[in-house]
Amino acid sequence: MMSKIVRTQASFLYTFILIFGFYIVAHGHLTPGGGFQGGAVIATGIALIAVAFNFSNVKRWIKKTHLTAAEGIGLLTFLITALIGIGTSFFYNWLANSGLIFGQRVSYGVNPGYLNTAGTLPVMNLAVGIEVFGGLGVIILYMLNYVKEVRNDAS
Amino acid sequence: MILEEILQVLILIGLIISGYLAIKFRDLLACAIALGIFSFLLSLEFYILQAPDVAIAEAGIGAGLTTAIFILAIRGTSRWEVEE
Amino acid sequence: MRNALLCVALLVVLGCLLYVSVNPGDFGVSRGEHLAFGEPKYTDMDDYFIHNGQNQTGANNIVTSIVFDYRGYDTIGEASVLFTAVLGVGVALRELRKRRDKNDE
Repeated sequence: MMSKIVRTQASFLYTFILIFGFYIVAHGHLTPGGGFQGGAVIATGIALIAVAFNFSNVKRWIKKTHLTAAEGIGLLTFLITALIGIGTSFFYNWLANSGLIFGQRVSYGVNPGYLNTAGTLPVMNLAVGIEVFGGLGVIILYMLNYVKEVRNDAS
Repeated sequence: MILEEILQVLILIGLIISGYLAIKFRDLLACAIALGIFSFLLSLEFYILQAPDVAIAEAGIGAGLTTAIFILAIRGTSRWEVEE
Repeated sequence: MRNALLCVALLVVLGCLLYVSVNPGDFGVSRGEHLAFGEPKYTDMDDYFIHNGQNQTGANNIVTSIVFDYRGYDTIGEASVLFTAVLGVGVALRELRKRRDKNDE
């Protein structure tokens, strides 16, 4: 456990790091970024909490089984989304330009950026984001097993 | 254009300096921070070279996650590097 | 001796980076053509993606449409690599923890 200043700042910044990561994941098909980058940013939030707070508390707050489940579910969603389009080919973008959800048509050129576009790309972004967040979080939690608890802190 | 080149040269010199400091320091916590600065400067360089996707990945993983994992490892072992 | 070698290696790396950044014109020279830095010689694939990416996938971010749509197999490989890495970390660290518990008893 670090000092009170670090803990207060970490609990304050945690929300904004999470919101920024979700923004990167959700706008992956419009702005720079995507699933991998957004998941890494969210995992950075978990790392911040793990560095700043008491380790037994962190292990109680963030369960390892949840993160492992998130990793598996993300990879499975990614593969299933790619597999649905197998009528044409693997990784066929079966939602793009279809008029359904995420199916708005976009022509070549400058546009303000519509969220309802890009077909299966937002779904895949979300799946990869969940997978990367779970995987990197599990690595951090495994690292926590071997850290000795320091008890000489005054606060 | 010339301003961009000057900035690029400064970032490259900073990369070399921070990489040298990361192996020069005896305090391992300072080494981890130097590696974090290295990754941050590298992501800035990627951004100047018009690759913002790689810049976000480098800033998130290199400067954020790797530094945190190094700090966790230092807290699990010892802080000061010892001579063999 | 070791420090001197280290300094020489770092200076060589610094010189290469500075040469590429200050004098970019020579970087893309092939058969007498002078290309600016960052301007590749063959651009057929880039032009195809840039001109057709928005029509075919609807994504403004061409990089994402390449990573997840045109070159999706690479992304499957990357996701599997991450999955396998996490699996390896879990196996390695879990085994060590059990051994330490056994020694404590």
